[in-house]
Amino acid sequence: MAAARLHGPSIRRRFASRAGVLLAMAAAHPFSLLVTLVLLYAAWIVGERIVSWGIIHATFIADDRSGCNPGGACWAFVVNRLPQFLFGFYPEAERWRALAAVLAPPALMLLAVAPEFRGRRLVVAAGFSLYPLLAFALLAGGLPGLPAVSTERWGGLTLTMLVGMSAFVLSFPLAILLALARTSSLPALRLVAAGFIEFWRGLPLVAILFMSVIMLPLFLPPGVEAPRLSLALAGITFYSAAYLAEVVRGGLQGIGRGQYEAAGALGFGFWSMQGYVVLPQALRSVVPAIVNAAIALFKDTTYVMVVGLFDLLNIVVAGLSDANWIGLAAEGYVFVGVIYWTICFGMSRMSARFEHGAQGARPAGAAAGAGR
Amino acid sequence: MSEPLIAVRSLSKWYGAWCALDRISLHVKAGSCTVLCGPSGSGKSTLLRCLNGLEEWEEGEVSIGGTPVAHRARDLRRLRREVGMVFQSFNLFPHLDALTNVTLAPRVVGRRRRTEAEQAGMALLDRVGLAGHARKLPADLSGGQQQRVAIARALAMQPRALLFDEPTSALDPESIKEVLDVIVGLAKSGTTMVVVTHEMGFARHVADEVVFMDKGRIVEASDPDTFFDRTVSDRIRCFLGHRDRAYSN
Repeated sequence: MAAARLHGPSIRRRFASRAGVLLAMAAAHPFSLLVTLVLLYAAWIVGERIVSWGIIHATFIADDRSGCNPGGACWAFVVNRLPQFLFGFYPEAERWRALAAVLAPPALMLLAVAPEFRGRRLVVAAGFSLYPLLAFALLAGGLPGLPAVSTERWGGLTLTMLVGMSAFVLSFPLAILLALARTSSLPALRLVAAGFIEFWRGLPLVAILFMSVIMLPLFLPPGVEAPRLSLALAGITFYSAAYLAEVVRGGLQGIGRGQYEAAGALGFGFWSMQGYVVLPQALRSVVPAIVNAAIALFKDTTYVMVVGLFDLLNIVVAGLSDANWIGLAAEGYVFVGVIYWTICFGMSRMSARFEHGAQGARPAGAAAGAGR
Repeated sequence: MSEPLIAVRSLSKWYGAWCALDRISLHVKAGSCTVLCGPSGSGKSTLLRCLNGLEEWEEGEVSIGGTPVAHRARDLRRLRREVGMVFQSFNLFPHLDALTNVTLAPRVVGRRRRTEAEQAGMALLDRVGLAGHARKLPADLSGGQQQRVAIARALAMQPRALLFDEPTSALDPESIKEVLDVIVGLAKSGTTMVVVTHEMGFARHVADEVVFMDKGRIVEASDPDTFFDRTVSDRIRCFLGHRDRAYSN
């Protein structure tokens, strides 16, 4: 009671004084006031139309196009086909496996930005690094209790998530090795790394995907047949590794000679020096660029459609030609856009968290401790 | 007479045509403190960096405890565990707190247990007067504190000798004193050390031997009293005189 009596008027006074400041500022800057009002009006017009089309006049449940209100979005199309958009042609009874593969990365990302608890870093690191292997094994099956599902039937968001995450996770260690080789004191190693990077970075991803599917099988031992998905994934991984390697190299260049000398003088060998002293600093300094590359890569996975894989975008586009739902391109693309944006925004938040963490106490020390 | 802990025999090093070290010979006895001084570019830091293999050389031999310093990576690593180094610019690992800076090498290179290494590390931080700063990052420490952490880090590998490369040149006068106090304490406790420094008062106070270098050669190596009061070398008198006279009128 006493607190309310004490705080009530003071809050009101603070609010009044804020409003007073705003009014005073508006009076002092008439042009800013005008611009603000114009922008607010524009935001209202755009926002009102979006809400009206996307929510107020939208239809969420219908059997086909004719059941939709023509004045609004026909989300019924997305709702009816949602399982296909999410899981492709994965058998209905086994969809929990695809769902697990889709939900694991966001769960790991949430865990990555979660408050600290014992073992959190280890779980996040192990989860991300084992994801490609575990997700592939889970989706492919072929074990007792997990019937085999051919990669031809994987698709939708499941495929997008699998390809995007796996390409990033697999390309990361490769990128570190390439960056180390490119900054090595051995000329032969430098040449090989530079050649690899320039080759993959200089080709358009579409060309890489075609080449991977057509040419990589020529390098496989006779009798071994790799699914198109794996071949495409290999191509994207090399492509991503080339870009990431240059990002990592940028980080390595920021590490002064003194750090190498100090570690060398303490008896560190090459790998322990890189692992405990150089890379923790180098990688942390390029976190924004790494996340930038990861976001670009995630969106680039849409190119797998050129080799006939049905990722999220491709499967929605394919759905647009359904005679029952003809002419719903806007709904399809908005749906795809919202999903991509949400995932990329999540990555960006995760990056921001890591950057803040860099200013906090000893994250790399804890990581080094966890690694041993 | 016993074998010196550090023995340099006729060491020469060139940068192209420039002779950085010219047939240097030097003996450092276990438990002694040797101060290397001389003008800039005289080769004293280069010589120091040869002692733990941070620099390569063209001719001559360096041996630590009777074992020649070889440039094969594995031998070099073993040697470096036995010779600690403290740098002018500290070179602490900026992403690790003070204690982890000290314990990283014992844990990773020396394969000691974490708890054991941390106990030893805390004792070392206490020895340099920084036990209360164990969890601070280098950026949150003053220059003098950083250099003292660097000394503790070098001591953590329990080296047989410590090399100091102008340890106080990047510090303000107050920090210089706190760092020199730590080094003096180490010298008094019998740590073998080679110190490159311009702090002549410090040299006179702790050195068992003062080595004066100029243009890649050792001009004189003698005990501090002889060096500071009875040297016959004009070059050294000139060097010392300039130091004394600088800004005095």
